[in-house]
Amino acid sequence: MARGRSRGKGELFALGVVLLVLVAFPAGIFGYQAWRVASAGVKTVDIVARAPEQGGFSPDRLTLRVGETVRLRLSSPDVVHGLTIPGLGVNVEEIYPGKVVEVDVTPTQSGRYAFACTRWCSVDHWRMRGVIEVIGASPQVTATTEPPLFQQLGVDLDAMRHATQITPSARPSTGAGAALNAKLPQDLTDPAKRRTLTPADAFHSLRVDPANAALSDDDVWSLVAWAWFKDVEPAAFARAETLYARDCAACHGPDGKGGGPAGVNLPGLAKMDPAMPKGPANFTDAGTMLAASDVLLQGKLLRGGMGTGMPEFGSLYTDQELWAMIAYLRAFLFGK
Amino acid sequence: MRYALSEIPLIKRVLRTRWLQWSLTALMLLFFVLAIIAGLVGTPAGNRNFGIVFVWIVWWALLILLLVPFAGRLWCGVCPIPAPGEWLQRRALVQPRPGGKLYTLGKQWPRAFRNIWLQNAGFLGVALFSSVILTTPMATALVLLGFMIVAVGTSLVFERRTFCRYLCPVGGFIGLYSQVAPLELRVKDAAVCASHTEKTCYTGSDDGYGCPWLIFPGGLTNNTACGLCTECLKTCTRDNIAIFVRQPGADLLKTTGHKLDEAYKGLIMLACAFIYSTVLIGPWGVLKETARAVGTRGWFAYAGIFLALNLAILPGLFWLAVRSGQTISQPVKTTMRKLFSDYAAVLVPLGLTAWVAFSLSFVLINFSYAWSVLSDPLGWGWNLLGTAGLKWTPYIPGLLPYLQVPVLLIGLTAALALALRTARQHGQSPWAAVPVAIFCTAATLGLLGLYLA
Repeated sequence: MARGRSRGKGELFALGVVLLVLVAFPAGIFGYQAWRVASAGVKTVDIVARAPEQGGFSPDRLTLRVGETVRLRLSSPDVVHGLTIPGLGVNVEEIYPGKVVEVDVTPTQSGRYAFACTRWCSVDHWRMRGVIEVIGASPQVTATTEPPLFQQLGVDLDAMRHATQITPSARPSTGAGAALNAKLPQDLTDPAKRRTLTPADAFHSLRVDPANAALSDDDVWSLVAWAWFKDVEPAAFARAETLYARDCAACHGPDGKGGGPAGVNLPGLAKMDPAMPKGPANFTDAGTMLAASDVLLQGKLLRGGMGTGMPEFGSLYTDQELWAMIAYLRAFLFGK
Repeated sequence: MRYALSEIPLIKRVLRTRWLQWSLTALMLLFFVLAIIAGLVGTPAGNRNFGIVFVWIVWWALLILLLVPFAGRLWCGVCPIPAPGEWLQRRALVQPRPGGKLYTLGKQWPRAFRNIWLQNAGFLGVALFSSVILTTPMATALVLLGFMIVAVGTSLVFERRTFCRYLCPVGGFIGLYSQVAPLELRVKDAAVCASHTEKTCYTGSDDGYGCPWLIFPGGLTNNTACGLCTECLKTCTRDNIAIFVRQPGADLLKTTGHKLDEAYKGLIMLACAFIYSTVLIGPWGVLKETARAVGTRGWFAYAGIFLALNLAILPGLFWLAVRSGQTISQPVKTTMRKLFSDYAAVLVPLGLTAWVAFSLSFVLINFSYAWSVLSDPLGWGWNLLGTAGLKWTPYIPGLLPYLQVPVLLIGLTAALALALRTARQHGQSPWAAVPVAIFCTAATLGLLGLYLA
């Protein structure tokens, strides 16, 4: 009997331990986490970044409130990623596998903000995007946005264009153009108008101007280069250089010739016209680049390439960044 | 030559009580539950997840580097996987019910499967997907959960620890390699067992249950199937069972009477050591990527090669070696099947040391993750013990080759000695062992090439 009572007590104790392990322990884990979150004072959102073919960002859709600070805890189980939320001023350069990066975000305006990976993590890196929806009252009235210039002007981004036959024999120089101290027509001094022209158009109009009769063709090309670069702020240009290295060089190459490793299997314009070259665009090709207006390049950047493999960057770049990027692309042909 | 460790009074007292062993099992169960929770809801980054770090690095290190080589199946005595099923089966947690009664359908495991073929298949299945399982916390959690569900289900339908004896993928190789350990559970005097009619060690009594591993301890001659649960130590009324310290590898000295399923287990383990060393820690990243890309064409090719190596190529080469040895020597009465199975004993020291060498590399390099994971087991930003911020530090990476080479050479030496012994015990000339010796040497050189090149 005594042995039986002792056995009963022992079994009850053991049962208590088992319940502790199987029930109380898991409950304790979740309870502790709930307490941590509640006492942290800031809402925390865990975002796991994986290569796009493994799911990309998880979650890839967030809802935040205006004025509420949220801590984003970023981690990656596979390769190095990055994160940019341009509209919210977030730029995390590296999310190393196995490490956690925390960044606080406090949206001040409602709206939709894209976020994207900024480290080339896989061949589908450009697909690694997400959206943050910020809700709640904004202190400022949100201005209505105009459609981009290429849409306003009805530019057909996919129309096949002939390359210009007249190209400079030497690399045009903005410095040389500036030194000529020539008077530029209004079409070239007004950025809004200049963006609708191609550099080839600008060359023709300058070439036929009697004021430039004494200039050589290369001098006139340098005038074109100066016209395109004289209003570009150095800081904006530097920003564009960073963005190019981050977003474009993997396909278009650091030298702009289109030979980047990530662009090897991309169809390029050959997708639309088999006669066109395959792969990413070569920004050093004078014939095509000088025949493309800034508005056309703007459209390509904003919208992407319709099956060519070129991603869209409309959700990631501000207007200032966009025009600076286009100026940077010109720099592959136009020297200082 | 052996010494009865369990005759030391303190150890005897500890082994006869149930609370210490039960407490260890409950502790392991707690870690098990944490590993599953961490895998299901914790961070997917493996190096910050308790499930990956403490199962595939810490537990694996303890198992393959310490427990199995030095204590045989000691892990099986505290393993949490069969515990809940066994508690349900016994309707008791610690103290046994009168007569050692079990509440289960008590079906006998089908005779055709009373071997380790299913364990071999289970191990191959896990190994095939190991590139994903070992690095993905969710996959680890699902595998562990799956093991437990099968173990519980088996306990309710079949008798005793059928899961452990015939199904557990881990138990297959633990049992095989436990033959090397300097620890054994045996009867002290077989004559005492012969005169003991009740055989309470197998049938059970008020003091405990009949051997859960379905073994009659009186007939136990090697460590392969004994799970060191010490139930028989508690139920033997003649105090005729003990745990002995013995010469390491004593089980292998008898090189006859081995079985084909164990031979294949040895070959599978050796093949997997090669494959893991090449794919998981080798310099060819494309192999690791392919092994992870389950469902792709490349993965199916990898799976085909993996299975072919395990089931056909390596066994085929070993068969050729044994056959060549038979050709060299004068004919013996033993069949090729028996020769093949008996010579496979060389794979025990060879394979164990291969796994030790392989495990040393990733354990020493990655063990430091354990400190941060202890403080933040789910990767949720906790810092329970203040160690969450400790950085990864590889331990003695420069010394690794100096550890791996001697280990592999020890295994090779033991394998060569066993090959000679097998030839002698089968009445063959020593030259018959040469092809198997060449096989073992080639395997060791291959591994040395992978680790040193």
